[in-house]
Amino acid sequence: MSIKVKGLSKRFGSHVAVRSLDIEIADGEFFVLLGPSGCGKSTTLRMIAGLDVPSAGQVSIHGRDVTYAEPRHRDIAMVFQDYGLYPNMTVYQNIEFPLKVRKVPKPERRGKILDTAERLGIGDLLQRKPGKISGGQRQRVSLARALVRSPHVFLMDEPLSNLDAALRATMRTEIRQLVANLGITTVYVTHDQVEAMSMADRIGIMHRGDMIQVGAPLQVYDNPRTKFVAQFIGSPPMNLIPATLSRDGRVTSSLQPFADLLPEAQRTGAIDLAARGVPFFLGVRPEHLTVCASGSANCVEAEVEIVEPLGQTTNIHLRVGDTHFVLVTGRSTVTAGSMVGVVANPEHLRVVEGEPRPAA
Amino acid sequence: MTVYSAAHGAAPSRAARFTRRAAGAAGAYVLAILATAFFALPLVWIALSSVKSEADISAYPPMWIFTPTAANFEELFGKLKAFDALLNSAFVVCISTLLAMIMGTMAAYALARFSFRGKENVALQVLSIRMMPAIVSVIPLFIIARSLGVFDTPWLLIAIYALNGLPFVVWVMRVFIQDVPKSIEEAAMIDGCGRYEVFFRITLPLVVPGLAAVLVIIFMFSWNEYLFASMLTSSHAKTLPVLAANAIKPKAISWGLSSAAAVVMSLPVILLVLSAQRYLVRGLTLGAVKG
Repeated sequence: MSIKVKGLSKRFGSHVAVRSLDIEIADGEFFVLLGPSGCGKSTTLRMIAGLDVPSAGQVSIHGRDVTYAEPRHRDIAMVFQDYGLYPNMTVYQNIEFPLKVRKVPKPERRGKILDTAERLGIGDLLQRKPGKISGGQRQRVSLARALVRSPHVFLMDEPLSNLDAALRATMRTEIRQLVANLGITTVYVTHDQVEAMSMADRIGIMHRGDMIQVGAPLQVYDNPRTKFVAQFIGSPPMNLIPATLSRDGRVTSSLQPFADLLPEAQRTGAIDLAARGVPFFLGVRPEHLTVCASGSANCVEAEVEIVEPLGQTTNIHLRVGDTHFVLVTGRSTVTAGSMVGVVANPEHLRVVEGEPRPAA
Repeated sequence: MTVYSAAHGAAPSRAARFTRRAAGAAGAYVLAILATAFFALPLVWIALSSVKSEADISAYPPMWIFTPTAANFEELFGKLKAFDALLNSAFVVCISTLLAMIMGTMAAYALARFSFRGKENVALQVLSIRMMPAIVSVIPLFIIARSLGVFDTPWLLIAIYALNGLPFVVWVMRVFIQDVPKSIEEAAMIDGCGRYEVFFRITLPLVVPGLAAVLVIIFMFSWNEYLFASMLTSSHAKTLPVLAANAIKPKAISWGLSSAAAVVMSLPVILLVLSAQRYLVRGLTLGAVKG
């Protein structure tokens, strides 16, 4: 196990930023901490880095307890959102700094710097100061500075959020490739679900200091544990329809034909949640709904509110009584105001927990 | 102007623009020269007076052409032993400035970067040293100095000047250090530095403009300080400002002598400012560090 976090908590006065967190990250894994701003993901990363001291709990890196160790004794490298480059040094000196501090002999330093700079495509910027290069180039320099030392663990705190959209997409792929080639264990913090989905081996979703769910991107996408995850991941988000459990063990909701189709495992989950008194929802991703002829079996009659053609896909906003939901399809001839039939793919129907609770 | 260039094409407009720019530059130079003359004239007058005889100084209208004399400097360095005072001044001011800079900058770093109980209170207490009028503390200091046996020694003045400069260093350097983005220091810590290394290798080089400005200012505070120096020294630790006061003689002020003293006193400050000039412009306008 490369990184092991146990019962990690951080309080700022009476405010709890991170609550009793447990994470295990395997060697060479790309782990993404995802969540909205203020969810505690950056604080968690900073505690792993040693920049913040935990209020409780333990951090181990490579089997060594480093909870209270200084950052320099953790064999980690980090990339910051605002790059954290030394403005008074040239690009070359910036990349050289971690080697210099660790007293690597000069000829060896030079080789490593040129090598890393070459790999990141900044070989021709080495004599410039960080103030004189573009945002994307600065990010490359800060990646080079982090990588030049071949650290055991690589931490990234929203490294792409200061870049424009096009550059962000390119850098995303580049970082993923780079890290995969080097096989370095990486913890990556972001609030962007696209980044998380596209880069991660596993995602940990945080909300208000709690770890809500941990899993592979598609696993989290397909089986969101709570309402928060269901709505945070996916665009448009998962449709959530309030549901209850009737006395005879049936799940009831305003879209009853869908509730009736729930797979058995999901229904068992609903019974479990109801027994604990936790509210729950019937959840279905917009792309798992299909327009069909009215009157088909298990079909819901819905009124079309708005149609949003996006080219590749079309978002159709629907209403049944007071229940609003969205369907995503390819090209469609459906028009606003008309009535359509909608069926759900039964194997993608989910029961989603209402109030967020910390992961067990 | 746009109408003109549109009607007559590019060539005449470029010529016109050139003349206009040249005229603007000339105007700026004239203003700059006038301003420089305004501020430099007293200095020039002092420098000239220092090599004039008493009769030439009081001549009216002022004499621009005269036979220079070294009499004032001879009196200053001969009879008044200005060289001893110069050494005293240099010793006292250099050590006290250095002490204030080192202690003050480190305190400023702590106040800028660490959170501890009563931080703002500490900062205010440091500042309060400067709130007391100097003259109020002279008598107590005199009594303390006598009982400690440090009266008329450079050490007493060093302590006082260092303490006097400290609040200024702490408060100004605190702002400069706060301006250095935290992530730069954190990056350095990840890169392998301990706190002290971060401070000396990363933060200090980034606040050099601030250090230079503060250094020049507190150097000048101490270098020109008269009150404490005159009350707390008698013969051994006499500094230049005290010595220069000898130009005020029982019957009249010896302008030649006082001008000579002023020249001797100004030279080190001018040299210091010239050597730190590169940083001063940035330092005095604050907030120079941006990634």
